[in-house]
This record gives sequence, C-alpha cells and structure tokens, in this order.
Amino acid sequence: MNNLHFKDSFKNFLFDLDNFITIYDDTLHVFNFTKLNKLSDTEIVLRINNKVVYINGENLKIKQMTKQELLIKGKLEKVEFNYD
Amino acid sequence: MIKKEIVWIKIEAKSYYNILTKLSELGITIYDNKKNDDGILIKTSLKDYERIKKYLVSYKTEIVTSSGLLKIKELMQKYIVFFLSSILSIVILFLINSVIFKIDIKSPNKKIQNILEKELASNGLKTLTLKKSHSQIEEIVNTILDNNKDTLEWLEIKYDGLIMNVYVTEKTIPKEEESYDKCNIISRTDAKITSLNLYRGVALKEINDYVTKGEVIITGEITHNEEVKNTVCASGEVYGEVWYKVKVTVPYNEYYSKYTGKKRFNISVKIGDDEYDIFKSRIKNKRVKKTILYKLNDFAINFVEEKEYEESVRKLSEKEAYNKALKLAEDKVKLKLRENEAILYKKVLKKEVNDSTIYVEVFIVTKENIGEVSQILGGSENDSKPNNENNQ
Repeated sequence: MNNLHFKDSFKNFLFDLDNFITIYDDTLHVFNFTKLNKLSDTEIVLRINNKVVYINGENLKIKQMTKQELLIKGKLEKVEFNYD
Repeated sequence: MIKKEIVWIKIEAKSYYNILTKLSELGITIYDNKKNDDGILIKTSLKDYERIKKYLVSYKTEIVTSSGLLKIKELMQKYIVFFLSSILSIVILFLINSVIFKIDIKSPNKKIQNILEKELASNGLKTLTLKKSHSQIEEIVNTILDNNKDTLEWLEIKYDGLIMNVYVTEKTIPKEEESYDKCNIISRTDAKITSLNLYRGVALKEINDYVTKGEVIITGEITHNEEVKNTVCASGEVYGEVWYKVKVTVPYNEYYSKYTGKKRFNISVKIGDDEYDIFKSRIKNKRVKKTILYKLNDFAINFVEEKEYEESVRKLSEKEAYNKALKLAEDKVKLKLRENEAILYKKVLKKEVNDSTIYVEVFIVTKENIGEVSQILGGSENDSKPNNENNQ
C-alpha cells in the first residue's frame, strides 16, 4: 500500500504540490512557482519551493502568467537550479 | 456558463519587466501582453484589473478593449439607439406580420363570396385582426364546410404575407347522363362488342358484332312494323374490345439527376419580378426550395435551400430498353382507360434495333365501355353527337 503513495497522490491532486518546468524551442513553461524574484530581458529568476531557478537568454518576455504558472518566450540559453 | 469578462488594459509605465514583476507579486493572471510606446498592454480579467487599480496607484491604468459581457455592455451603451430601434422595428414587423390586411376570396361567384365573408367574420377572421394558427384555421375550415355542405365542396385558407387567400370550390351537381328525354346509346369508338346489358330501348347490335365510331348500338326509338311508335332515352351497358397500335421509341441512354448530398443555404430578396441572392451561389446544377420569411406586397425575403444534382447517364441494355418500350406503350393506353376497363392482350408487331434507340410497334386490345349517350334531336338516329376521344 505504501508503494502506491496513495496519500501523496491524493494530496497532490487536491493541492497541486508538484512543480515542473517544460522547455520548448523558444518557450518555457513553469508550473507551481513560488515567487518571481527578478525579471529582465536576459535573465529571469524564480523561486520554486526550496530552489532558485535562473533562466538566461535573449529577449525574454512573459507571455502568460497566473498565480502558479508562467509562460516565458524568448531565445533560451541556460536554465540553472540552486538549492538553498 | 457566463464568459469571464476579459479586458485589455493599458498601464502607462516605461519598464515592462518592473510591471510584470509587480503583477506577479499581486498574483494577477495575464493572458497576453504587449509593449508599445505609450506603455504596456495587458490582457487580464476585469476582477484583476480592479486589483491592479487598487494596488498600483502610482501608475495610470485604463481599459482599452474588452470582451465577454463587458464588451456587450459597452456596445449596448454605445449603440443604445440602434439597438432599441432595431428591437422596436422587429417588434413592429412581427406585429404587422401577425395582422390580416386583406382577405382575398378566390371565387368569381358573388353569392359564395358573401357566404364566406360572413362565415369568416363569425369565426373571427376579418381584416385588421390577428392571424390564426394553423390548427385554428383547420378548425374554422371544417366548421365552414359543415355549415355549407350544399354549396361548398372544398375550402383552403393560406396566408401570403399580409394577405389571407381563401381558395374555394363550389359544389356542383353533375348532370346525369340520362337526363335527356330521347336518346340513343352509340359506340364511341370502333370496337367488337363483348357484352351488352340492355336496360331500356332496342338493341340493334349483338355480342361479337363489330361497330364503328358513332354507330347506334341501342336505340331509343321503339318501332312496330317499321313505324316509330315511341321514343325513349335508351339505357344500357356495352363493353367491347378496342384495338390500339402504339409506336414507341426508347433511347439506350437514360438521363437522370442524382443528388450529390451537397446542400447550401441562402437568403434571397424579391422585389417585383426581380430576385437577388444575398450570398453568391456556388452550386451550378441545383434544385431550389424557397420558404417565404417575410412578404409585403411585391417585396419578399425568402430562405433558399439549394441542393446540388449531377446529371448522370445510364446505358440501357437492349432487353431493358425493349421492356421499357413495352411498358411505355402499355402506360400510354392505360391513360385512356376508366373504371372496370383493362388491357386484354398485347402483341409486338415490329421491333427495330438502331444504334442509339429501339423502336417498337405494339398492338394492344382492351376491354372498354364503348357505349355513349347521344341525344336524339330531331327524330332521326343520325342526329346523334358522339365524343371524339379515341386515338387508334
């Protein structure tokens, strides 16, 4: 029963605890980010729980944004994680 | 589901990234954004716009365009006069269309016109009154027909725009054939008598006798010793064999139209004799069905349903063409037959097969009622008036 992670799955289903980043050619989709720390045309810094994500590139722009999600467009060069 | 009220707002600011960071901190949902010289355009919900206005007080914000209910509300406010006048026009149009402006009784008989005018008025159908529903009209028609069983045979009421057309057929009592005082029964065609039932008069012919068109079969003149003692109206039923020679040519190529399944709808405006389609019709070979949406005198708006048909050719085999020719020949004769009359025999006299057609000559024998009443005008049998219907 423990192997099925039923409790965790249910909690995640209810509260959307998982977070992920999907990278396309010129688009980056972030799900469940905590805070937008820095925003410029070359660098975007985000906090996702206990890690900080550095996104570097050119002409970076936020195409769509909700409380939890971000859709970043631009020429992506580097995505880096730093743990606290 | 009510559509979320989405607005495009303009925030007068120079730093795009600053504003986006602040909006992120406020948890604003952004569906799209653009940067131009005046500031930043953000596509967001009306609810979020209220929050932006509340928290970003140092920036000048305004709604540029909106969608959903808000858009409708804005449009309503802008074009309130147009909307109200359109609604009013539709209501007036509907009201006018629901009123009978003229009742047109399609009968030349003044007496019938008067009867119908009174009957319609007593059932609430007068000029400048509201139109009745189809079921009510049906009920009224039945009532009028019941009330005027002796004078009216058939009645139909149809609306044509603002005009109510009343189509009527008067009841006519058919003239009885035996209404003459003095008459003969003559043959209406050349034939061989097969049965003869005499009710009144004197039979001049017998079964198996050949008669020509107009020849007297039963005379109304009762003679004794070659002297006419009395003249009556002869009565009887005479059946005979009638012969036809029918020539039919059938082409091997049979043309027919087939519905392709392609259908288009259009609206047409008719002004007088001219009719204009609103949309360009892309169907070439079509059959059109029109439904009147609105009609006022010579002006009409029609809903047009166009169905595409393609012409196809089917090549008949010699046997199929031959059978078709025989059937056509039979049908040609059957058209002339009445009740209790039938085809007795048929024989193909000639068959010619050509490159593209087949020619058939058919001899057909029928059993027909050949007797016809003919009034005796002077006293001589030769004064009879036969009908000329037979085509041999």
